[in-house]
Amino acid sequence: MRHHPSRDLIIPGPAGCVLMATALLAWSILFLKAEEQIPILVYMISGSLLVLVAALSDLHKSISATISSNESSWDKCMTLTLLALILIFHDDHYTLFLLGTIMVYATAVLGLNVQLGYTGVINFSAASFFGIGSYTAAMSSAAGLPSLPALLLGGIVAALVGCVLLLPVLRTSGHYAALVTMAFALLFRVFLEVNEWFGGPQGIAVAPLTLFGLDFSQDMQLWGIEFSFYVKYDLACLLLLVLAFGFVRRLERSWLGLSMDAVRCDETAGACFGVDIARWKITAFTVGNLLSGLAGALYAMMLAYISPANFAFPDSLLFLSILLLGGMGNNWGVILATVFVVVIPEKFQVIQEYRYLIYAALVLFMILYRPMGLLPRKARNYGRLS
Amino acid sequence: MSVLLSCTGLTMRFGGLTALDSLDMAVEEGDVLGLVGPNGSGKTTFFNVATGIYRPSSGKVLFQDEDITAKSPQEIYRMGIARTFQRSRLCLDLTVFDNIMIGNHKNLDFGIIHNLFKRRSFMAEYEDNLEKARSMLHALNPALAKRIHQPVGLLNMIDRRRVEVCRALVSKPKLLFLDEPSAGMTHDETRRLMDEVLAFSRADEKFTLVLIEHEMEVIRRTTNRCIVLNFGRKLCEGDYESVTADPFVQEAYLGTDL
Ligand SMILES: Nc1ncnc2c1ncn2[C@@H]1O[C@H](COP(=O)(O)OP(=O)(O)OP(=O)(O)O)[C@@H](O)[C@H]1O
Ligand SMILES: [Mg+2]
Repeated sequence: MRHHPSRDLIIPGPAGCVLMATALLAWSILFLKAEEQIPILVYMISGSLLVLVAALSDLHKSISATISSNESSWDKCMTLTLLALILIFHDDHYTLFLLGTIMVYATAVLGLNVQLGYTGVINFSAASFFGIGSYTAAMSSAAGLPSLPALLLGGIVAALVGCVLLLPVLRTSGHYAALVTMAFALLFRVFLEVNEWFGGPQGIAVAPLTLFGLDFSQDMQLWGIEFSFYVKYDLACLLLLVLAFGFVRRLERSWLGLSMDAVRCDETAGACFGVDIARWKITAFTVGNLLSGLAGALYAMMLAYISPANFAFPDSLLFLSILLLGGMGNNWGVILATVFVVVIPEKFQVIQEYRYLIYAALVLFMILYRPMGLLPRKARNYGRLS
Repeated sequence: MSVLLSCTGLTMRFGGLTALDSLDMAVEEGDVLGLVGPNGSGKTTFFNVATGIYRPSSGKVLFQDEDITAKSPQEIYRMGIARTFQRSRLCLDLTVFDNIMIGNHKNLDFGIIHNLFKRRSFMAEYEDNLEKARSMLHALNPALAKRIHQPVGLLNMIDRRRVEVCRALVSKPKLLFLDEPSAGMTHDETRRLMDEVLAFSRADEKFTLVLIEHEMEVIRRTTNRCIVLNFGRKLCEGDYESVTADPFVQEAYLGTDL
């Protein structure tokens, strides 16, 4: 193998992971703490430049080599980075809510990744399944169901509605699934708005998450330090994200993920080797909606109030564009792109109004010039126990 | 030798076009059967019907005395028929190993617990299969075995064909359909590939092969029997010499080749 001088720039091994995670943490703290538009712009530009330099030089190769050969260290570093951010911003409601939103959205898009990125089943109603999770959690906890079962029920109902909706369609081939999900996304909002039972267009209040007698909607005082109630929600979001991430990654590194790839690649060729096309499409669709539903249920509890406007068609498109931006099939890409799409318009208010325009332009640009996304998916590597 | 696959009165219409016209033919166990005929004569359509991709308009296909006419491609694969495609249909972004494993579907354990949670037992199964795929590749071409973890998109045509052959052979089918293995390759490459396939198949007495091929030289060297199709009908059948002696075959099909 040829020797790349730049490979030496990054400390290899777990220490390299720690170093990169620390740099990332430092940059995130600065960026999230910044409130004036000028410093935010400076951090954004300097961050983008750094990424650009890495992408254009060989640096990205050594970074990705370090990460993939020290995967479990990298996983821990990333989890700890998020944990550190939650603790550092322990009394900052706004930033904590932003972090929670990122983690919940990322979980939902991981579900979409199983559907579209792995299996090639397009879903234009990801936000609707997210919304089913939200409304199920709201309605069932209003009816007296404890939080945890209500949360799980959110995921299960989303998965079941998906099955009922698409079972007839997924058995056929062609673009019917795309059309059905599109119609469903448009109808879902109208359905909620005309049903007073679901709170109509104004929406409904959602009972807070309560686990083991711990009310997640109350601020806390520990060792004399003020903790926003969002800290608890963020920890729950982090747990959900870590579990979802581990699950979809194991799925990819198994015969199940291989079969899903076979379906996406070539249904006819797959069928000639025994791949049951309908079975894997249904499995992927159900798993994806389960994750979206769980994420939606947790999000609803964190928001405490939901309305149909939270789960409209543009939100489904937003989920899709996160996946396209991050890189179809790449779970780290999903996380990276969710951060971009959620944080940048929040911090950089100037573009807030035009954000859908910017997303649209960005997606078009990606499709034309970098169809594999920011982080293209790598060849499957079964060889790890995790 | 006993009949492995047979079809009677097999007709396949696409709208007004009759791609197979009451075709009767039989493949015997141990055969290396050449299926030849001009473009559009229905050769690939026969494979597609026999592997369950198309439901024929009329007629029957029997495999080991069982009627498979209405069976799905998945069921037919499980019964022991595997194939390659005229236009290579590999998943280019998946690795060589992944592509071969798609062909090994019927031997893999799809249990959810096994795949997702008992990773140790999964990895043991994975290692077994990796060894199996590696030794198959090695038998075909040692250099290719070293590239087992590379995406198929990086390979040249002959190596892609090799991967397709491995994908078809890995499940140890009773009957193999090869659809124009020479497409997109030089004479030399085709000869090498066919030698490799035959060497592989000779290890098994009962191994049966149906080969669609335009290059008559390949047919001559590899097959023990040929069937000539024209407009979806069987024109003639027999060994290479008798088939090529047929005046129609000489004129319509071989005229330019010989
Ligand atoms: N799915 C289809 N729909 C419509 N027509 C088809 C279809 N598949 C095949 N045909 C037609 O059936 C006829 C036979 O096609 P087939 O592919 O079996 O020919 P072939 O003998 O394999 O030819 P070649 O040597 O060019 O591969 C052709 O006229 C083709 O256009
Ligand atoms: Mg053909």
